[in-house]
Amino acid sequence: MRSAGAVTVLWQIAICLVILATWQWGYDLRDKMPWLVPDLLDPYFVAKPSEIFEHFLRLSCLVDKDQWTLGVKDAFAACMHRSENNLWVALFVTLKNTLFGFVTGVTSGFLAGLVLGRSDRLSAIFQPFIVAANAIPRIALAPVIILAFGIGDVSKVVTAWLVVVFLVFFNTFAGARAVERDHIGAARLLGASEWQITKTVIIPSTMAWLFASLAPAIAFSLIGVIVGEFIGAQRGICRMIIEAEARGEASGMMVAVFVLMISGVLLTTIMQRVQSHLLRWQPQHQEAG
Amino acid sequence: MSEGGEIRIETRNLCKIFGTKAPIVRAVDNVSLAIRKGEFVSLLGPSGSGKSTVLNMIATLLPATSGEILLDGKPLTPGRPDRTVGYVYQKDTLFPWRTVQENVGYGLELAGMPVSERRRRVAAALAEVGLAEFGSFYPSSLSGGMRQRVSLLRTLIMEPQILLMDEPFGALDTHTKLDMHRILLDLWERGRQTVVFVTHDLGEALTLSDRIILLSARPGRVKQEFSVDLPRPRDAVFLRESPAYAALFSEVWHSLGEEFVRGRTE
Repeated sequence: MRSAGAVTVLWQIAICLVILATWQWGYDLRDKMPWLVPDLLDPYFVAKPSEIFEHFLRLSCLVDKDQWTLGVKDAFAACMHRSENNLWVALFVTLKNTLFGFVTGVTSGFLAGLVLGRSDRLSAIFQPFIVAANAIPRIALAPVIILAFGIGDVSKVVTAWLVVVFLVFFNTFAGARAVERDHIGAARLLGASEWQITKTVIIPSTMAWLFASLAPAIAFSLIGVIVGEFIGAQRGICRMIIEAEARGEASGMMVAVFVLMISGVLLTTIMQRVQSHLLRWQPQHQEAG
Repeated sequence: MSEGGEIRIETRNLCKIFGTKAPIVRAVDNVSLAIRKGEFVSLLGPSGSGKSTVLNMIATLLPATSGEILLDGKPLTPGRPDRTVGYVYQKDTLFPWRTVQENVGYGLELAGMPVSERRRRVAAALAEVGLAEFGSFYPSSLSGGMRQRVSLLRTLIMEPQILLMDEPFGALDTHTKLDMHRILLDLWERGRQTVVFVTHDLGEALTLSDRIILLSARPGRVKQEFSVDLPRPRDAVFLRESPAYAALFSEVWHSLGEEFVRGRTE
Protein backbone atom coordinates (compact mmCIF):
# COMPACT_ATOMS: atom_id res chain seq x y z
CA MET A 1 0.00 0.00 0.00
CA ARG A 2 2.66 2.41 1.13
CA SER A 3 4.94 1.86 -1.83
CA ALA A 4 1.98 2.03 -4.24
CA GLY A 5 1.18 5.46 -2.77
CA ALA A 6 4.80 6.55 -3.20
CA VAL A 7 4.77 5.41 -6.83
CA THR A 8 1.64 7.48 -7.45
CA VAL A 9 3.28 10.56 -5.97
CA LEU A 10 6.42 10.00 -8.05
CA TRP A 11 4.32 9.82 -11.20
CA GLN A 12 2.52 13.00 -10.26
CA ILE A 13 5.79 14.83 -9.69
CA ALA A 14 7.17 13.52 -13.00
CA ILE A 15 4.11 14.64 -14.96
CA CYS A 16 4.26 18.03 -13.29
CA LEU A 17 7.93 18.45 -14.25
CA VAL A 18 7.26 17.42 -17.85
CA ILE A 19 4.45 19.97 -18.13
CA LEU A 20 6.55 22.75 -16.62
CA ALA A 21 9.59 21.89 -18.77
CA THR A 22 7.56 21.83 -21.98
CA TRP A 23 6.03 25.11 -21.01
CA GLN A 24 9.36 26.70 -20.12
CA TRP A 25 11.55 25.47 -23.00
CA GLY A 26 9.10 24.10 -25.54
CA TYR A 27 8.86 27.31 -27.54
CA ASP A 28 12.63 27.43 -28.00
CA LEU A 29 12.34 24.32 -30.17
CA ARG A 30 10.31 26.28 -32.66
CA ASP A 31 13.31 27.41 -34.64
CA LYS A 32 14.36 23.83 -35.37
CA MET A 33 11.01 22.08 -35.52
CA PRO A 34 8.23 24.57 -36.24
CA TRP A 35 5.76 21.78 -37.08
CA LEU A 36 6.02 20.40 -33.55
CA VAL A 37 5.31 23.51 -31.50
CA PRO A 38 1.85 25.06 -31.58
CA ASP A 39 1.41 28.82 -31.67
CA LEU A 40 -0.26 28.67 -28.31
CA LEU A 41 3.08 28.15 -26.54
CA ASP A 42 4.09 31.66 -27.57
CA PRO A 43 5.23 33.36 -24.34
CA TYR A 44 3.28 36.39 -25.42
CA PHE A 45 0.07 34.42 -24.73
CA VAL A 46 1.17 32.09 -21.97
CA ALA A 47 4.12 33.51 -20.12
CA LYS A 48 6.88 31.10 -19.22
CA PRO A 49 6.78 29.60 -15.72
CA SER A 50 9.97 31.47 -14.76
CA GLU A 51 8.42 34.80 -15.82
CA ILE A 52 5.22 33.99 -13.98
CA PHE A 53 7.17 33.26 -10.82
CA GLU A 54 9.16 36.49 -11.08
CA HIS A 55 6.01 38.43 -11.68
CA PHE A 56 4.45 36.76 -8.69
CA LEU A 57 7.33 37.86 -6.47
CA ARG A 58 6.89 41.45 -7.64
CA LEU A 59 3.11 41.53 -7.37
CA SER A 60 3.19 39.98 -3.93
CA CYS A 61 5.77 42.54 -2.79
CA LEU A 62 8.14 39.76 -1.81
CA VAL A 63 10.60 41.41 -4.21
CA ASP A 64 10.60 45.17 -4.68
CA LYS A 65 13.01 47.09 -6.93
CA ASP A 66 14.88 43.83 -7.61
CA GLN A 67 15.49 43.23 -3.91
CA TRP A 68 13.95 40.81 -1.45
CA THR A 69 11.73 42.68 0.96
CA LEU A 70 11.75 39.99 3.63
CA GLY A 71 14.01 40.99 6.46
CA VAL A 72 14.45 44.54 5.13
CA LYS A 73 12.85 47.00 7.47
CA ASP A 74 9.60 48.58 6.17
CA ALA A 75 10.34 47.46 2.59
CA PHE A 76 7.34 45.13 2.41
CA ALA A 77 5.00 47.71 3.93
CA ALA A 78 6.23 50.43 1.61
CA CYS A 79 5.64 48.22 -1.42
CA MET A 80 2.21 47.22 -0.16
CA HIS A 81 1.39 50.87 0.32
CA ARG A 82 2.27 51.92 -3.19
CA SER A 83 -0.25 49.80 -5.05
CA GLU A 84 -3.93 49.97 -4.26
CA ASN A 85 -4.82 46.61 -5.74
CA ASN A 86 -1.74 44.56 -4.93
CA LEU A 87 -1.95 40.79 -4.85
CA TRP A 88 -2.74 40.44 -1.16
CA VAL A 89 -5.42 43.12 -1.08
CA ALA A 90 -6.95 41.71 -4.26
CA LEU A 91 -6.93 38.19 -2.86
CA PHE A 92 -8.43 39.34 0.41
CA VAL A 93 -11.23 41.21 -1.36
CA THR A 94 -12.05 38.29 -3.65
CA LEU A 95 -12.05 35.75 -0.84
CA LYS A 96 -14.08 37.97 1.46
CA ASN A 97 -16.74 38.42 -1.20
CA THR A 98 -16.68 34.69 -1.91
CA LEU A 99 -17.23 33.94 1.75
CA PHE A 100 -20.08 36.45 2.08
CA GLY A 101 -21.76 35.09 -1.03
CA PHE A 102 -21.34 31.55 0.30
CA VAL A 103 -22.73 32.29 3.76
CA THR A 104 -25.74 34.28 2.56
CA GLY A 105 -26.44 31.80 -0.26
CA VAL A 106 -26.25 28.74 1.98
CA THR A 107 -28.38 30.28 4.73
CA SER A 108 -31.15 31.57 2.50
CA GLY A 109 -31.11 28.52 0.22
CA PHE A 110 -31.37 26.22 3.21
CA LEU A 111 -34.25 28.11 4.83
CA ALA A 112 -36.20 28.36 1.57
CA GLY A 113 -35.58 24.70 0.73
CA LEU A 114 -36.66 23.59 4.18
CA VAL A 115 -39.88 25.60 4.22
CA LEU A 116 -40.92 24.70 0.69
CA GLY A 117 -39.79 21.10 1.04
CA ARG A 118 -42.00 20.54 4.05
CA SER A 119 -45.05 22.35 2.72
CA ASP A 120 -46.88 20.81 -0.24
CA ARG A 121 -48.98 23.93 -0.54
CA LEU A 122 -46.10 26.39 -0.79
CA SER A 123 -44.05 24.19 -3.08
CA ALA A 124 -47.03 23.85 -5.43
CA ILE A 125 -47.52 27.62 -5.51
CA PHE A 126 -43.87 28.50 -6.06
CA GLN A 127 -42.93 25.61 -8.34
CA PRO A 128 -43.34 27.40 -11.73
CA PHE A 129 -41.44 30.46 -10.49
CA ILE A 130 -38.57 28.35 -9.26
CA VAL A 131 -38.41 26.40 -12.51
CA ALA A 132 -38.39 29.65 -14.48
CA ALA A 133 -35.76 31.29 -12.30
CA ASN A 134 -33.62 28.19 -12.42
CA ALA A 135 -33.76 28.15 -16.22
CA ILE A 136 -31.98 31.53 -16.40
CA PRO A 137 -28.22 31.07 -16.58
CA ARG A 138 -27.33 32.96 -13.41
CA ILE A 139 -24.21 34.41 -14.99
CA ALA A 140 -26.38 36.20 -17.58
CA LEU A 141 -27.71 38.36 -14.76
CA ALA A 142 -24.29 39.56 -13.66
CA PRO A 143 -24.35 42.75 -15.79
CA VAL A 144 -27.80 43.57 -14.42
CA ILE A 145 -26.50 43.14 -10.90
CA ILE A 146 -23.51 45.38 -11.57
CA LEU A 147 -25.89 47.99 -12.96
CA ALA A 148 -28.14 47.74 -9.92
CA PHE A 149 -25.54 47.47 -7.17
CA GLY A 150 -22.59 49.35 -8.65
CA ILE A 151 -19.04 48.13 -9.20
CA GLY A 152 -18.26 47.82 -5.49
CA ASP A 153 -18.12 44.65 -3.39
CA VAL A 154 -21.89 44.38 -2.94
CA SER A 155 -22.52 43.41 -6.55
CA LYS A 156 -19.96 40.58 -6.28
CA VAL A 157 -21.59 39.21 -3.17
CA VAL A 158 -25.00 39.36 -4.86
CA THR A 159 -23.73 37.53 -7.94
CA ALA A 160 -22.14 34.85 -5.77
CA TRP A 161 -25.31 34.59 -3.69
CA LEU A 162 -27.40 34.11 -6.80
CA VAL A 163 -25.21 31.25 -7.99
CA VAL A 164 -25.08 29.53 -4.59
CA VAL A 165 -28.67 29.96 -3.47
CA PHE A 166 -30.23 27.77 -6.15
CA LEU A 167 -27.72 24.99 -5.71
CA VAL A 168 -28.33 24.88 -1.97
CA PHE A 169 -32.07 25.37 -2.34
CA PHE A 170 -32.52 22.35 -4.63
CA ASN A 171 -30.37 20.15 -2.42
CA THR A 172 -32.20 21.17 0.72
CA PHE A 173 -35.57 20.86 -0.97
CA ALA A 174 -34.81 17.28 -2.02
CA GLY A 175 -33.52 16.55 1.47
CA ALA A 176 -36.59 17.96 3.19
CA ARG A 177 -38.78 15.78 0.96
CA ALA A 178 -36.69 12.70 1.70
CA VAL A 179 -37.09 12.76 5.49
CA GLU A 180 -38.09 9.23 6.45
CA ARG A 181 -41.70 8.96 7.55
CA ASP A 182 -40.78 6.26 10.02
CA HIS A 183 -38.24 8.57 11.66
CA ILE A 184 -40.99 11.11 12.16
CA GLY A 185 -43.35 8.38 13.37
CA ALA A 186 -40.77 7.03 15.79
CA ALA A 187 -40.12 10.50 17.20
CA ARG A 188 -43.82 11.15 17.63
CA LEU A 189 -44.30 7.82 19.42
CA LEU A 190 -41.48 8.77 21.78
CA GLY A 191 -43.40 11.89 22.72
CA ALA A 192 -42.06 14.55 20.33
CA SER A 193 -44.21 17.60 19.67
CA GLU A 194 -44.44 19.00 16.13
CA TRP A 195 -41.78 21.58 16.91
CA GLN A 196 -39.53 18.95 18.47
CA ILE A 197 -39.96 16.79 15.36
CA THR A 198 -38.86 19.71 13.21
CA LYS A 199 -35.90 20.43 15.43
CA THR A 200 -34.66 16.90 16.11
CA VAL A 201 -35.67 14.96 12.98
CA ILE A 202 -36.47 17.14 9.97
CA ILE A 203 -33.63 19.66 10.34
CA PRO A 204 -30.84 17.16 11.13
CA SER A 205 -32.01 14.84 8.38
CA THR A 206 -32.15 17.70 5.85
CA MET A 207 -28.78 19.02 7.05
CA ALA A 208 -27.16 15.91 5.65
CA TRP A 209 -28.18 17.03 2.17
CA LEU A 210 -27.13 20.59 2.86
CA PHE A 211 -23.66 19.49 4.00
CA ALA A 212 -23.22 17.48 0.82
CA SER A 213 -23.68 20.69 -1.18
CA LEU A 214 -21.16 22.80 0.79
CA ALA A 215 -18.08 21.92 -1.26
CA PRO A 216 -19.68 22.69 -4.64
CA ALA A 217 -21.30 25.79 -3.10
CA ILE A 218 -17.97 27.39 -2.16
CA ALA A 219 -16.59 26.68 -5.66
CA PHE A 220 -19.73 28.20 -7.22
CA SER A 221 -19.44 31.22 -4.97
CA LEU A 222 -15.90 31.87 -6.18
CA ILE A 223 -17.08 31.62 -9.79
CA GLY A 224 -19.85 34.13 -9.06
CA VAL A 225 -17.38 36.62 -7.62
CA ILE A 226 -14.97 36.15 -10.53
CA VAL A 227 -17.69 36.80 -13.11
CA GLY A 228 -18.80 39.89 -11.20
CA GLU A 229 -15.25 41.21 -11.10
CA PHE A 230 -14.77 40.66 -14.82
CA ILE A 231 -17.79 42.77 -15.62
CA GLY A 232 -16.76 45.64 -13.46
CA ALA A 233 -14.75 45.99 -10.29
CA GLN A 234 -12.40 48.32 -8.50
CA ARG A 235 -10.55 45.65 -6.57
CA GLY A 236 -10.04 41.92 -6.64
CA ILE A 237 -7.98 39.21 -8.31
CA CYS A 238 -9.87 39.43 -11.59
CA ARG A 239 -9.47 43.16 -11.66
CA MET A 240 -5.73 42.33 -11.74
CA ILE A 241 -6.30 40.03 -14.71
CA ILE A 242 -8.12 42.76 -16.59
CA GLU A 243 -5.36 45.27 -15.80
CA ALA A 244 -2.64 42.85 -16.89
CA GLU A 245 -4.51 42.12 -20.10
CA ALA A 246 -4.76 45.83 -20.84
CA ARG A 247 -0.98 46.08 -20.50
CA GLY A 248 -0.47 42.95 -22.56
CA GLU A 249 1.24 41.23 -19.64
CA ALA A 250 0.62 37.52 -19.92
CA SER A 251 2.67 36.77 -16.82
CA GLY A 252 0.53 39.07 -14.68
CA MET A 253 -2.62 37.30 -15.85
CA MET A 254 -1.11 33.91 -15.17
CA VAL A 255 -0.13 34.91 -11.61
CA ALA A 256 -3.75 35.73 -10.92
CA VAL A 257 -4.90 32.48 -12.49
CA PHE A 258 -2.50 30.47 -10.32
CA VAL A 259 -3.55 32.31 -7.20
CA LEU A 260 -7.19 31.53 -8.04
CA MET A 261 -6.32 27.89 -8.62
CA ILE A 262 -4.60 27.59 -5.27
CA SER A 263 -7.45 29.41 -3.48
CA GLY A 264 -9.98 27.12 -5.15
CA VAL A 265 -8.11 24.00 -4.08
CA LEU A 266 -7.76 25.26 -0.51
CA LEU A 267 -11.39 26.34 -0.17
CA THR A 268 -12.72 23.06 -1.56
CA THR A 269 -10.39 20.98 0.59
CA ILE A 270 -11.43 22.84 3.72
CA MET A 271 -15.10 22.40 2.82
CA GLN A 272 -14.63 18.69 2.19
CA ARG A 273 -13.00 18.34 5.59
CA VAL A 274 -15.86 20.21 7.24
CA GLN A 275 -18.33 18.07 5.33
CA SER A 276 -16.68 14.81 6.39
CA HIS A 277 -16.71 15.93 9.97
CA LEU A 278 -20.36 16.99 9.96
CA LEU A 279 -21.40 13.79 8.17
CA ARG A 280 -19.19 11.50 10.24
CA TRP A 281 -22.22 9.34 11.07
CA GLN A 282 -22.51 8.26 7.45
CA PRO A 283 -20.56 5.09 6.66
CA GLN A 284 -18.68 6.58 3.71
CA HIS A 285 -17.19 9.28 5.94
CA GLN A 286 -16.21 7.01 8.81
CA GLU A 287 -12.92 5.72 7.39
CA ALA A 288 -11.65 9.21 6.75
CA GLY A 289 -13.06 10.58 10.01
CA MET B 1 -52.29 -16.19 31.41
CA SER B 2 -55.57 -17.27 32.96
CA GLU B 3 -58.85 -15.38 33.19
CA GLY B 4 -59.13 -12.23 35.27
CA GLY B 5 -57.01 -9.09 35.31
CA GLU B 6 -58.24 -5.80 33.93
CA ILE B 7 -58.57 -5.20 30.20
CA ARG B 8 -55.83 -2.88 28.98
CA ILE B 9 -56.43 -2.76 25.24
CA GLU B 10 -59.71 -3.44 23.58
CA THR B 11 -60.71 -3.23 19.92
CA ARG B 12 -64.34 -3.44 18.86
CA ASN B 13 -65.31 -4.38 15.30
CA LEU B 14 -62.16 -2.76 13.97
CA CYS B 15 -62.11 -2.39 10.17
CA LYS B 16 -59.58 -0.90 7.80
CA ILE B 17 -60.11 -0.35 4.11
CA PHE B 18 -57.29 1.04 1.99
CA GLY B 19 -58.19 3.21 -1.00
CA THR B 20 -61.39 5.12 -1.62
CA LYS B 21 -61.94 4.22 -5.26
CA ALA B 22 -61.94 0.73 -6.75
CA PRO B 23 -59.92 -1.39 -6.30
CA ILE B 24 -60.22 -1.04 -2.55
CA VAL B 25 -58.39 -3.38 -0.22
CA ARG B 26 -60.21 -4.70 2.81
CA ALA B 27 -57.22 -5.24 5.08
CA VAL B 28 -58.84 -5.69 8.47
CA ASP B 29 -62.36 -6.98 8.93
CA ASN B 30 -64.24 -6.82 12.21
CA VAL B 31 -61.39 -7.50 14.56
CA SER B 32 -62.40 -7.49 18.22
CA LEU B 33 -59.71 -8.15 20.77
CA ALA B 34 -59.33 -7.82 24.49
CA ILE B 35 -55.84 -7.78 25.94
CA ARG B 36 -55.32 -7.87 29.67
CA LYS B 37 -52.85 -5.89 31.72
CA GLY B 38 -49.41 -7.48 31.71
CA GLU B 39 -50.33 -9.98 29.05
CA PHE B 40 -47.98 -10.87 26.19
CA VAL B 41 -50.09 -11.41 23.10
CA SER B 42 -48.90 -12.29 19.60
CA LEU B 43 -50.82 -11.45 16.47
CA LEU B 44 -49.88 -14.28 14.14
CA GLY B 45 -50.77 -14.60 10.49
CA PRO B 46 -49.46 -14.79 6.95
CA SER B 47 -48.45 -11.58 5.21
CA GLY B 48 -51.52 -9.67 4.11
CA SER B 49 -53.49 -10.74 7.15
CA GLY B 50 -53.61 -7.17 8.43
CA LYS B 51 -51.74 -7.87 11.65
CA SER B 52 -49.44 -4.87 11.31
CA THR B 53 -52.42 -2.74 10.32
CA VAL B 54 -54.20 -3.64 13.56
CA LEU B 55 -51.05 -2.78 15.51
CA ASN B 56 -50.59 0.54 13.71
CA MET B 57 -54.18 1.51 14.44
CA ILE B 58 -53.64 0.78 18.13
CA ALA B 59 -50.48 2.92 17.91
CA THR B 60 -52.50 5.75 16.25
CA LEU B 61 -50.14 5.60 13.28
CA LEU B 62 -53.15 4.78 11.11
CA PRO B 63 -56.77 5.85 11.48
CA ALA B 64 -59.38 3.07 11.59
CA THR B 65 -62.05 3.02 8.89
CA SER B 66 -64.64 1.94 11.43
CA GLY B 67 -64.74 0.42 14.87
CA GLU B 68 -63.28 1.48 18.16
CA ILE B 69 -60.07 1.15 20.10
CA LEU B 70 -60.08 1.59 23.86
CA LEU B 71 -57.05 1.96 26.10
CA ASP B 72 -58.05 1.35 29.73
CA GLY B 73 -61.65 1.80 28.65
CA LYS B 74 -61.04 5.23 27.07
CA PRO B 75 -61.23 5.76 23.30
CA LEU B 76 -57.98 6.69 21.51
CA THR B 77 -57.37 10.16 20.12
CA PRO B 78 -56.31 9.63 16.53
CA GLY B 79 -52.87 10.96 15.61
CA ARG B 80 -51.90 11.61 19.22
CA PRO B 81 -50.01 8.66 20.66
CA ASP B 82 -50.70 7.80 24.27
CA ARG B 83 -47.71 8.47 26.51
CA THR B 84 -47.94 5.01 28.05
CA VAL B 85 -47.51 3.30 24.66
CA GLY B 86 -44.15 2.28 23.23
CA TYR B 87 -43.66 1.09 19.67
CA VAL B 88 -40.87 -0.89 18.04
CA TYR B 89 -40.63 -0.96 14.26
CA GLN B 90 -39.52 -3.85 12.09
CA LYS B 91 -37.44 -1.44 10.06
CA ASP B 92 -34.45 0.18 11.63
CA THR B 93 -35.68 3.63 12.61
CA LEU B 94 -32.72 4.74 14.68
CA PHE B 95 -31.65 8.28 13.88
CA PRO B 96 -28.41 7.77 11.93
CA TRP B 97 -27.03 11.20 12.91
CA ARG B 98 -27.25 10.39 16.62
CA THR B 99 -24.88 8.09 18.47
CA VAL B 100 -26.22 5.01 20.23
CA GLN B 101 -26.51 6.80 23.56
CA GLU B 102 -28.13 9.84 21.96
CA ASN B 103 -30.66 7.55 20.30
CA VAL B 104 -31.47 5.70 23.51
CA GLY B 105 -31.74 8.97 25.45
CA TYR B 106 -33.86 10.65 22.78
CA GLY B 107 -37.23 10.34 24.52
CA LEU B 108 -35.79 11.42 27.86
CA GLU B 109 -34.20 14.42 26.16
CA LEU B 110 -37.58 15.40 24.70
CA ALA B 111 -39.12 15.12 28.13
CA GLY B 112 -36.49 17.56 29.43
CA MET B 113 -34.59 15.24 31.74
CA PRO B 114 -31.31 16.76 32.99
CA VAL B 115 -28.18 15.55 31.18
CA SER B 116 -26.51 13.83 34.13
CA GLU B 117 -29.60 11.82 35.05
CA ARG B 118 -30.15 10.95 31.41
CA ARG B 119 -26.60 9.80 30.93
CA ARG B 120 -26.81 7.57 33.99
CA ARG B 121 -30.02 5.91 32.83
CA VAL B 122 -28.82 5.42 29.28
CA ALA B 123 -25.57 3.84 30.47
CA ALA B 124 -27.47 1.48 32.76
CA ALA B 125 -29.85 0.49 29.99
CA LEU B 126 -27.01 -0.17 27.51
CA ALA B 127 -25.20 -2.30 30.06
CA GLU B 128 -28.30 -4.45 30.53
CA VAL B 129 -28.24 -5.60 26.93
CA GLY B 130 -24.48 -5.88 26.55
CA LEU B 131 -23.93 -2.67 24.65
CA ALA B 132 -22.07 -0.73 27.36
CA GLU B 133 -19.05 -0.04 25.16
CA PHE B 134 -21.03 1.05 22.13
CA GLY B 135 -22.57 4.23 23.49
CA SER B 136 -20.54 6.58 21.35
CA PHE B 137 -20.89 4.55 18.12
CA TYR B 138 -23.11 5.62 15.28
CA PRO B 139 -25.84 3.16 14.23
CA SER B 140 -24.23 2.64 10.82
CA SER B 141 -21.32 0.84 12.43
CA LEU B 142 -23.49 -1.66 14.37
CA SER B 143 -24.81 -5.03 13.27
CA GLY B 144 -28.53 -5.54 12.62
CA GLY B 145 -29.03 -7.30 15.96
CA MET B 146 -27.26 -4.56 17.88
CA ARG B 147 -29.31 -1.88 16.14
CA GLN B 148 -32.53 -3.64 17.06
CA ARG B 149 -31.40 -3.86 20.67
CA VAL B 150 -30.80 -0.11 20.63
CA SER B 151 -34.26 0.43 19.12
CA LEU B 152 -35.77 -1.68 21.87
CA LEU B 153 -33.95 0.32 24.54
CA ARG B 154 -34.95 3.63 23.00
CA THR B 155 -38.56 2.58 23.49
CA LEU B 156 -38.21 0.77 26.82
CA ILE B 157 -36.29 3.57 28.54
CA MET B 158 -39.51 5.59 28.42
CA GLU B 159 -41.01 2.88 30.65
CA PRO B 160 -44.11 2.29 28.53
CA GLN B 161 -46.84 0.21 30.11
CA ILE B 162 -47.95 -0.98 26.72
CA LEU B 163 -45.44 -2.22 24.18
CA LEU B 164 -46.42 -2.61 20.55
CA MET B 165 -43.95 -4.51 18.39
CA ASP B 166 -44.23 -4.88 14.63
CA GLU B 167 -42.14 -7.90 13.58
CA PRO B 168 -39.19 -6.35 15.38
CA PHE B 169 -36.89 -9.31 14.70
CA GLY B 170 -38.19 -10.12 11.23
CA ALA B 171 -35.02 -9.00 9.46
CA LEU B 172 -32.59 -10.88 11.72
CA ASP B 173 -30.95 -14.26 11.18
CA THR B 174 -32.10 -17.24 13.29
CA HIS B 175 -29.24 -17.06 15.72
CA THR B 176 -29.53 -13.34 16.40
CA LYS B 177 -33.28 -13.73 16.66
CA LEU B 178 -32.99 -16.30 19.48
CA ASP B 179 -30.61 -13.94 21.22
CA MET B 180 -33.14 -11.14 20.92
CA HIS B 181 -35.88 -13.41 22.32
CA ARG B 182 -33.74 -14.08 25.36
CA ILE B 183 -33.10 -10.36 25.87
CA LEU B 184 -36.75 -9.42 25.34
CA LEU B 185 -38.02 -12.13 27.74
CA ASP B 186 -35.49 -10.98 30.28
CA LEU B 187 -36.55 -7.33 30.02
CA TRP B 188 -40.23 -8.26 30.01
CA GLU B 189 -39.95 -10.43 33.15
CA ARG B 190 -38.76 -7.31 34.94
CA GLY B 191 -41.19 -4.81 33.45
CA ARG B 192 -44.24 -7.01 32.81
CA GLN B 193 -45.58 -4.60 30.23
CA THR B 194 -48.67 -5.38 28.21
CA VAL B 195 -47.24 -6.50 24.88
CA VAL B 196 -48.82 -6.86 21.45
CA PHE B 197 -46.30 -8.59 19.22
CA VAL B 198 -46.87 -8.96 15.49
CA THR B 199 -45.13 -11.87 13.76
CA HIS B 200 -45.50 -14.51 11.08
CA ASP B 201 -43.02 -16.77 12.85
CA LEU B 202 -44.87 -19.38 14.92
CA GLY B 203 -41.79 -20.42 16.89
CA GLU B 204 -41.26 -16.82 17.93
CA ALA B 205 -44.90 -16.41 18.94
CA LEU B 206 -44.82 -19.57 21.09
CA THR B 207 -41.51 -18.65 22.72
CA LEU B 208 -42.66 -15.23 23.81
CA SER B 209 -46.40 -15.06 24.32
CA ASP B 210 -49.13 -15.95 26.79
CA ARG B 211 -51.68 -16.02 24.03
CA ILE B 212 -51.61 -16.24 20.25
CA ILE B 213 -54.31 -14.62 18.15
CA LEU B 214 -54.32 -16.15 14.70
CA LEU B 215 -55.50 -13.86 11.91
CA SER B 216 -56.81 -15.19 8.63
CA ALA B 217 -55.40 -14.34 5.21
CA ARG B 218 -56.87 -11.15 3.69
CA PRO B 219 -59.22 -9.78 4.77
CA GLY B 220 -57.78 -10.12 8.26
CA ARG B 221 -60.23 -11.61 10.73
CA VAL B 222 -59.62 -13.33 14.06
CA LYS B 223 -59.54 -16.97 13.08
CA GLN B 224 -58.63 -18.68 16.30
CA GLU B 225 -56.99 -18.08 19.66
CA PHE B 226 -54.47 -20.24 21.42
CA SER B 227 -53.42 -20.04 25.01
CA VAL B 228 -49.71 -20.74 25.49
CA ASP B 229 -49.48 -22.31 28.93
CA LEU B 230 -45.75 -22.85 28.99
CA PRO B 231 -44.07 -22.13 32.33
CA ARG B 232 -42.22 -18.86 32.87
CA PRO B 233 -39.52 -17.69 33.06
CA ARG B 234 -38.76 -19.29 29.72
CA ASP B 235 -35.48 -20.05 28.08
CA ALA B 236 -35.65 -19.08 24.42
CA VAL B 237 -33.40 -21.95 23.34
CA PHE B 238 -34.36 -24.88 25.56
CA LEU B 239 -38.08 -24.15 25.51
CA ARG B 240 -38.15 -25.49 21.99
CA GLU B 241 -37.15 -28.96 23.24
CA SER B 242 -40.13 -29.38 25.58
CA PRO B 243 -42.97 -31.73 24.55
CA ALA B 244 -45.61 -29.11 25.48
CA TYR B 245 -44.00 -26.72 22.99
CA ALA B 246 -44.01 -29.36 20.27
CA ALA B 247 -47.67 -30.22 20.91
CA LEU B 248 -48.74 -26.59 20.73
CA PHE B 249 -46.59 -26.01 17.70
CA SER B 250 -48.28 -28.71 15.65
CA GLU B 251 -51.72 -27.59 16.81
CA VAL B 252 -51.24 -23.99 15.69
CA TRP B 253 -49.15 -24.95 12.69
CA HIS B 254 -52.03 -26.78 11.08
CA SER B 255 -54.36 -23.81 11.40
CA LEU B 256 -51.68 -21.32 10.32
CA GLY B 257 -50.74 -23.49 7.34
CA GLU B 258 -54.27 -23.26 5.98
CA GLU B 259 -54.01 -19.48 5.99
CA PHE B 260 -50.63 -19.50 4.30
CA VAL B 261 -52.11 -21.61 1.50
CA ARG B 262 -55.22 -19.43 1.27
CA GLY B 263 -53.12 -16.27 1.20
CA ARG B 264 -51.02 -17.69 -1.61
CA THR B 265 -53.83 -18.85 -3.85
CA GLU B 266 -55.67 -15.57 -3.72
